[in-house]
Amino acid sequence: MAPLLRVEDLHTDIRLKYSTVHAVDGVSFSIEAGETLGVVGESGCGKTMTALSIMNLLPTGGRVTSGSIKLDGTEITGLSEEVMRNIRGNEIGMIFQDPLTSLNPTMTVGNQIAEAVRLHREVSKEHALERAAEVLDLVGLPRAKERINEYPHQFSGGMRQRVMIAMALACEPKLLIADEPTTALDVTIQKQILELIDDLRRRLGMAVILVTHDLGVIAGRADRVAVMYAGKIAESTGTGTLYANSRHPYTEALFQALPDKAAETRERLYSIPGMPPDLTHPPAGCRFAPRCRYVQDRCRAEEPDLRGETADHVFACFFPVGAREREDLKISAPPPAQEVATPVAPRANGQVLLAAEHLVKDFPVTSGAVMQRRTGTVSAVADVSFAIRNGETLGLVGESGCGKTTIGRLIVGLERPTGGAIMYGDRDLVRSRGREYRRQRRAIQYMFQDSYASLDPRMRAGAILREPLEVQGVGSRRDRVKRVEEMLGHVGLPQTAVERYPHEFSGGQRQRLGFARALMLSPTLIVADEPVSALDVSIQAQVLNLMRELQREMGLTYLFISHDLAVVRYLSNTIGVMYLGKLVEVGPADEVYLTPAHPYTRGLIDSAPVADPKAERAKVDAGVHGELPSAIHPPSGCRFRTRCPLAQEICSVVEPPLQPFGANGHRAACHFPLQTPSEAEGQQV
Amino acid sequence: MTMMTPPPSGSLPAGVGSVVAEPDASETGVGATGLDLARAPQQRGLLRRGWEVFAENRLALASLGVVLFMVLFCFIGPLLYHTDQVHTNLDTSRCSPSGSHPLGCDGVGYDVLGRLMIGGQTSLEVGIAAAVVAVLFGTLYGAVSGYLGGVADSFFMRVVDAGLSIPYIMLIIVLSVAFHPNRPVMVLIIASFYWLGVSRLVRGETLTLRTREYVQAVKVLGGRSPRAILRHILPNAIGTIIVQATFAVADSILILASLGFLGLGVQPPATDWGSMLAGGLQYMQSTQNYWWLIYPAGIAIILTCIAFNFIGDALRDAFETRLQRR
Amino acid sequence: MTGYLIRRFGQAVIVLFFVTVITMLLIHLFPGGPIRAMLGPRATVQQVAIFNHLYGFDRPLYIQYLKWIDQLAHGNLGYSPKLNLTVAALIAQDLPKTMILVVLGTVVSLAFGVPLGMYQAVKRYTAGDYVLTGVSFLGYATPTFFVGLLLIEWFAVSVHIFPPEGPQGSSIGQILSDPQALVLPVLAYSFVLYALWSRYMRSAVMDNLVQDYVRTARAKGASERRVLWGHIFRNSLISIVTLLGLSFPTLVAGAVFIEVVFNYPGMGLAFYNAAQNVDFQVLLGFTVLATVATIVGNLLADISYAMLDPRVRYSR
Repeated sequence: MAPLLRVEDLHTDIRLKYSTVHAVDGVSFSIEAGETLGVVGESGCGKTMTALSIMNLLPTGGRVTSGSIKLDGTEITGLSEEVMRNIRGNEIGMIFQDPLTSLNPTMTVGNQIAEAVRLHREVSKEHALERAAEVLDLVGLPRAKERINEYPHQFSGGMRQRVMIAMALACEPKLLIADEPTTALDVTIQKQILELIDDLRRRLGMAVILVTHDLGVIAGRADRVAVMYAGKIAESTGTGTLYANSRHPYTEALFQALPDKAAETRERLYSIPGMPPDLTHPPAGCRFAPRCRYVQDRCRAEEPDLRGETADHVFACFFPVGAREREDLKISAPPPAQEVATPVAPRANGQVLLAAEHLVKDFPVTSGAVMQRRTGTVSAVADVSFAIRNGETLGLVGESGCGKTTIGRLIVGLERPTGGAIMYGDRDLVRSRGREYRRQRRAIQYMFQDSYASLDPRMRAGAILREPLEVQGVGSRRDRVKRVEEMLGHVGLPQTAVERYPHEFSGGQRQRLGFARALMLSPTLIVADEPVSALDVSIQAQVLNLMRELQREMGLTYLFISHDLAVVRYLSNTIGVMYLGKLVEVGPADEVYLTPAHPYTRGLIDSAPVADPKAERAKVDAGVHGELPSAIHPPSGCRFRTRCPLAQEICSVVEPPLQPFGANGHRAACHFPLQTPSEAEGQQV
Repeated sequence: MTMMTPPPSGSLPAGVGSVVAEPDASETGVGATGLDLARAPQQRGLLRRGWEVFAENRLALASLGVVLFMVLFCFIGPLLYHTDQVHTNLDTSRCSPSGSHPLGCDGVGYDVLGRLMIGGQTSLEVGIAAAVVAVLFGTLYGAVSGYLGGVADSFFMRVVDAGLSIPYIMLIIVLSVAFHPNRPVMVLIIASFYWLGVSRLVRGETLTLRTREYVQAVKVLGGRSPRAILRHILPNAIGTIIVQATFAVADSILILASLGFLGLGVQPPATDWGSMLAGGLQYMQSTQNYWWLIYPAGIAIILTCIAFNFIGDALRDAFETRLQRR
Repeated sequence: MTGYLIRRFGQAVIVLFFVTVITMLLIHLFPGGPIRAMLGPRATVQQVAIFNHLYGFDRPLYIQYLKWIDQLAHGNLGYSPKLNLTVAALIAQDLPKTMILVVLGTVVSLAFGVPLGMYQAVKRYTAGDYVLTGVSFLGYATPTFFVGLLLIEWFAVSVHIFPPEGPQGSSIGQILSDPQALVLPVLAYSFVLYALWSRYMRSAVMDNLVQDYVRTARAKGASERRVLWGHIFRNSLISIVTLLGLSFPTLVAGAVFIEVVFNYPGMGLAFYNAAQNVDFQVLLGFTVLATVATIVGNLLADISYAMLDPRVRYSR
């Protein structure tokens, strides 16, 4: 049977002011009706451009320069705009990453969907709106008929994405292209949306192209996968085969850079050295060669074709993993530079370095520019207590609105708590003022999430790094310069970096710079807020390795805040799970992950995609239902009860206290926990 | 004559640069960290980069040339071309352009070309001075208000709103009538209400910058507010301020000219380009065509203002794009 | 939304308060006091004293202020000794005529500015765009009065197509009965405004063209035309409408200069004459009126913004 879509040797260029980027450089794949093809790769690999090329929706300056795209046997490249318009939204639908900006804010949701219908079907406005309500119902939007007259900003993120999906499916296309559809969503909502897409695919018999950078998402949802690198496909096969038996060195390296697998063994992650090539002047030879562990001369001179032993598993490499050629030439991976390091354990004294006691932070919701009237309060942090021991890493994990970022900011002094204490040693940081307070700042430093925004674009790196010393009046000018040099060495940046401006660095390098700045004052505690969330997997690995290394060398303690459970698990000794301003569970990392006591933790773990197809498929009917309640009017009693499958009446009346589970400080706040609480008073965390 | 800044001349095509993310132009080669930043050529300061972007805009360069020419014409010109700009001479009233008077004479016998020069001196001096005063004061006011926030900010901005609600033209007409201004007083009059618009813009900029993370980072380091303002907010707001100042010069020249036309500007024998046009109306209806009473001064105003506007526009682009590649 | 509007209204009232204070202080800025300025340097001290007492300028400032507010509240805007009219009567006489000029001029400027601005954005960086950009820059750099002078020179003096003066007459009827004389003033008035609208429209449309929702619309199969008129135009119009409400001071300025150049008997010319004669009650009254109009204009701008942008209309 002919495939639904066949792409052959597609080339797409993007013309910039002074150069041309060869974003897609010879990509071929096909997809059958009813199946899901995952296209995975890091930023700049060309996966989004490939998707846009199919519908000819390229940005200004973009053009398909050669190749063929056949939809149901018909060639669709080179078609006139008019004919192409009939295909867009009708035979091929597309959804994008950010549902907030992708919807017209001044049109009702119903009208936008109706527009999609009326563009391709001869129906009246009323019928189109009926169809809109119908299809909104199909995607699981509650009270669809009423809500078609609402505007996009009145919906939550997950709901908006459902609206986008409804719009794309309104005319029942044969193919749905989803470009990073869940990247901007919370993990629990992500699972709902991915399940929805899967479900619709089965029901409507559609094919789905799922474009993403997340190997976990692919593991759970795709039938087949194409891994892209530098504008070309590196490897393509069925999902199970890819994860079990990948052949291309890049794919292999990607898996080794993921914290998922290493989380158990706490090995050092494999970080792929170097950077992807500049696609304005693509190199001769294999594109991955400069970064490949197994590189040979032939790789640098010739470009490998996409081929394989079976048609079902193709890869572009002369010396793939497990190939005979390798044994012949005695190529093997260099001895693992990743020594199995002893997992970072708390220091012998295990003393509490910092303790948060009953922290509360409320943000007023005001209206009125003349007189600020308090119309409501956002309860961002509601009575949270925890302790961090010397030398360990406490990972705070949770979804948007849970308060983890606020806690980070409270600890470093960017916000003042509404209530509670932060004990550092025997002093309450909240009570300190003035000079004493500023001196105490030296011990606790911060790594920002957005490296670009946290570095002054008008200052050179050297000045940025010297600033902490200048503010605290440490050392002479000479000392400071020396210390900057030292620190650059520690974080693996060259000395020439001092003269550069932030925009001249890559994302990973900027994070190192931010890390270096945090280290300048020799702090004991570093609060890192989502330090690797914006980075590609391979760069992420570099930064995580660096953080671990320096923790050991300098005896640092981390409060690591992230929404990514795999990363948190990899790096932390202790995990704290937060939901809507409350700490719902805390304990040793492995215990919390493997034997969670709180239903939300369980749901979170189930929702987070892991790069293991078998594990993913096994997660049937797991996850968390429903939407996040408002933080201005949080549910009474247990805040999680509105989404909890185990909720009973007592949950709405009495807020559950933290109870101990076991002797290692594992505690959770639930009336009906998943484990049996222990009677013994465990070690006080 | 508007007090509203012209919007940017174009938006950059978005989406392209962001899809093809890394790497930077400076990255090649492999290393332990995978990055070879050793290539020195990028070692140019931001100022140099900004200038390069600016210089790409040929219109802006031409405008710079126009401004320079005007300055030379008005200030050096009279040293080379002597005319009597103090005593009237009714014999030569409205004389046609000729060898001794290349641009003819005006209604009271002054040589027009000479008048153009010294009128230009006034226009340029008052224009630039008023812009500088207004921008300086407005920046200070706006930055402090924006940084303080809260009730203080609300109060300061209410005052600004009030001032901006009174039509500017009426205000300066009243002031000009009250004070019979000479040049310094004129500067004060024009700046007296122009700074309001500037302060609002700077305040907005300050508010935006205050929430930037690199400003907050100062707090984490243990630094205090003055450091944040002086070392981080102001340098990053300078771009907007300079652009504002450029447009302010053009506006001030126009305002002065308009007042001059109404007879409310500087008093004779001093003049400015606008005052030169004051008499134009009455002579237009006579049988002879006195074009030299209208076009030279008018064209001088238009040319100079357009030049400043182009420069401001190019500066705006330069400040925006110099922090990006390609 | 009602909350938002109530807040804005409250702000407007406060602003009005500040404005009245500023305006009153302004009058007292005249060296020697307003009476001296009006009567001239040759008036005797006794004459000045008499008038000071008559107008209450010898009372403390706050009393004067309260009296004045009281007057205003009763609709008494003062009296012009030079014209022998109450200010209110003067306004009643001249305002309608100015309104004709302003309304016609604004309509003409919008009729050209909005479509051309959109055209420029769609055809950006082509020759047409550059030419129109040049015209706009010209509009920013040319004083309004000079535009008037040029038009008179070209179309009334060199070639006698239109009369060199605006329509004369004291009533609207008389003004409108001479439409030929209206052409040049309206054109001159609208030129600078045109530059403003077209630049902002161009900017707004260009910003909208690169938004994500436009890409979504195209992905649905919408034609460029549909994208432009069904999506972008509406969203760009929001900024123009609000700009309109905020542009009142510019409208006033234009009125003053055009009326002087064309000898058009409206409020602008009256204000200019009052300035020459230091007829300060007229100056004060007109200023207060124009300010109130500006504040109302700002309020209208906010209201329309709230109505047009659903994010404000349905804000929680």
